[in-house]
Amino acid sequence: MSDFIGIDLGTSNCAIAWVGDTGHPENLPITQAITASSEGEKSLLPSAIYLPAEGEFPESSSRQILGNFARERGALQPDRLIVSAKSWLCHPHADRRGQILPWGSTTIDRKLSPLEASRDLLAHLLASLKNSHPNLAPTNPVITVPASFDEVARGLTLEAAQLAGIPEATLLEEPQAAFYAWFENQGADWRKQVQSGDLLLVCDVGGGTADFSLIAVTGKDGNLALERVAVGEHLLLGGDNMDLALAHDVSEKLAATSSVLDDWQFLALVQSTRGAKESLLSDPSLKEVPIAIPTRSSRLIASTLSTTLTREQVDQIVLDGFLPLVAADEMPALRRAGGLRESGLPYAADAAISKHLARFLTRAKANITSSPQLLESVGGSAKIDSAPLLIPDAVLFNGGVFNASPLRARVLDQLSRWANRPIRELEGARPDHAVALGAAVYARLRATGQGLRIKSGTARSYYIGMESTGMAVPGRCPVTKALCVAPQGMEEGTSLEISDQEFLLYTGETSDFRFFQSEVRAGDQPGQILPDAAELEESAKLQIEIPPPAGHQPGEEIPVHLQARITELGHLELHFLHKPTGERWKLEFNVRMQ
Amino acid sequence: MKAPLIASGFVLLGINFAAVYQPEPNLTLAAQTVSAAIGMVCVFLATRKQRAKSTTPVLTQPIAPPPAPPRPEAEIAAFLALLQEHGRLVDFAKEDITSATDQQLGAAARVVHSGCRKVLNDYFDITPLRSETEGNAVTLESGYDAPAHRLLGSVPAIPPYAGKLVHPGWITNSINLPRVTGTTEKRPWPVLAPAEIEIK
Repeated sequence: MSDFIGIDLGTSNCAIAWVGDTGHPENLPITQAITASSEGEKSLLPSAIYLPAEGEFPESSSRQILGNFARERGALQPDRLIVSAKSWLCHPHADRRGQILPWGSTTIDRKLSPLEASRDLLAHLLASLKNSHPNLAPTNPVITVPASFDEVARGLTLEAAQLAGIPEATLLEEPQAAFYAWFENQGADWRKQVQSGDLLLVCDVGGGTADFSLIAVTGKDGNLALERVAVGEHLLLGGDNMDLALAHDVSEKLAATSSVLDDWQFLALVQSTRGAKESLLSDPSLKEVPIAIPTRSSRLIASTLSTTLTREQVDQIVLDGFLPLVAADEMPALRRAGGLRESGLPYAADAAISKHLARFLTRAKANITSSPQLLESVGGSAKIDSAPLLIPDAVLFNGGVFNASPLRARVLDQLSRWANRPIRELEGARPDHAVALGAAVYARLRATGQGLRIKSGTARSYYIGMESTGMAVPGRCPVTKALCVAPQGMEEGTSLEISDQEFLLYTGETSDFRFFQSEVRAGDQPGQILPDAAELEESAKLQIEIPPPAGHQPGEEIPVHLQARITELGHLELHFLHKPTGERWKLEFNVRMQ
Repeated sequence: MKAPLIASGFVLLGINFAAVYQPEPNLTLAAQTVSAAIGMVCVFLATRKQRAKSTTPVLTQPIAPPPAPPRPEAEIAAFLALLQEHGRLVDFAKEDITSATDQQLGAAARVVHSGCRKVLNDYFDITPLRSETEGNAVTLESGYDAPAHRLLGSVPAIPPYAGKLVHPGWITNSINLPRVTGTTEKRPWPVLAPAEIEIK
């Protein structure tokens, strides 16, 4: 009997699931502090770390509290609370190894790095698992990451897992995990909902993030194959934004009657608007839901404020604010109008998820059009040329937001308008726990080789910046070219060498290496040189001194070949190979972007 | 942990020494010897247990090992604290409501209702005992689950009992309350709600 474990290391909540050799996966409860003086098991571990003040909990020896109590306690002391560590992990301009969290806190002298915070969450999950199931012997646990995580963030997640005592973890993209969970749950029935030639959109909107992926169904009858053909950008936009927007609206309504809320009341208001919103979205007959806002005072009855949340507010703010019906060419505003932005997480500037979806589907189309192989997978150009966007045939919803059927209906309505034909929903999704469950299923699939696997490989193509040769022109910097080192779709456990080209490597002195990526250039082949790297997204920059090989002087340029490898765990490595001496240098991708 | 072991060893030796050289060994001394020996054994066991613990691999994020079980009252206080934290139950019951309007009471009741409901849903799996709707006819045969039923009105000497369901009853199919940690001699059960002070 083997044990397969899937870990959902979420932005807002973590979950862990188990599956045996046969049967369905199940969520495992996670031990955590429930109050200052009790602990218990819950199916989710809030991804929150609270750093107590000296002597705050004299009975406890731990320097930090994770999970349920951390989130509740930290809500009242945000200075001591680390949340969204995962979003920091993929923030290209943050020092992800630096002690920067809680961000902006002035009261903490021992902060954690995004890497350490992720490590601690994973270690807590592992300890809870070992404590409750001492005989469990998981092999190669699968940890999920957003499809939008780039190579740097993926590398850091693997490093966090290693530090937490899970050295042999494998990564899986969350939308794929949601799909595996759906697929496993459907059993043989999945073929009734999906057929060859279908393009499936996994629309995953969690508490704080939105993540899109497209999966193509190919193959002949009875022999279907799946391929992930496009992933979206990292979007810090989710259900929490909706609750916050509603709470602000209610609070403004209250302010008009001269009841100004303090910080704690506002937190309580966010909680109760969430509940009221869910009631309104699940029961179409309700016109409004009363909301009561307590104060912190022990005089509950005398001091509680009451107000209402109306259907108009929910329709206006949640549906029309976050999921407005837009034209196919309405793209999200990518930056705010102000010239200066407060440092911190790069939250999405435009709240309209439908516009982000339009952008994703536009980029997905560009990506697929660039690669003849992908074009064939999705059914040829005839299929995708009919609309300016790449239109999926069916949608799998994931994330707590989509428990509400009006939100699912709105997304389907939007897609159907773009497509001029009805777009269907894949029935039987479990928006809350699917990711961990699907990860456990994938862990089993990997180990046994039994079952249908989504062909995916790297979600992006990767490039290294190259100084171009050319005559010096005063006042003009030479353009940086980009050399494709790993194409999109490169599979785990494979490597490639750009054998027909030699490059010159400066040794013995510090030089800059710049790395770029793209999620819309599936057609680029390894060795291909793009004339200007500016059209790509810069993902990392590394300053490093490469020692000269034996028999060479520092400062010498030596001819090298380039090799790229995707490890079994799904991490990209780059090697420079000096053939005459056989020496090689590995370049780490997980470096800070300056 | 070593020092008390050595100290009690010396005490034991001393007492034995005294016992040997005391022509008339008295009972008290013997009792002291026995208690010192027991003490030493206890200390030895404690040190051994500690040593054994330190050799097992330490988990990266240790979840505190369960200490001595707290008193049952502590569990009750902790549950009450949960109802207070989420549902403000203690505040509600302790407040004087004579001059409160029904509107005020209604608003506060929403807070109590949603919080207490959350606690009940989180830690219990509560379902009605009987599936029939209220007001329907019900017959209890002999051998019915007596503790789960309360018969009202004039009850015949022996079943079957035919009647009307007035309340379907409640049962919790599971209890998953948090375990109390960190109680001490000084505070055998947790506080129901900490005093709150806002730092300016």
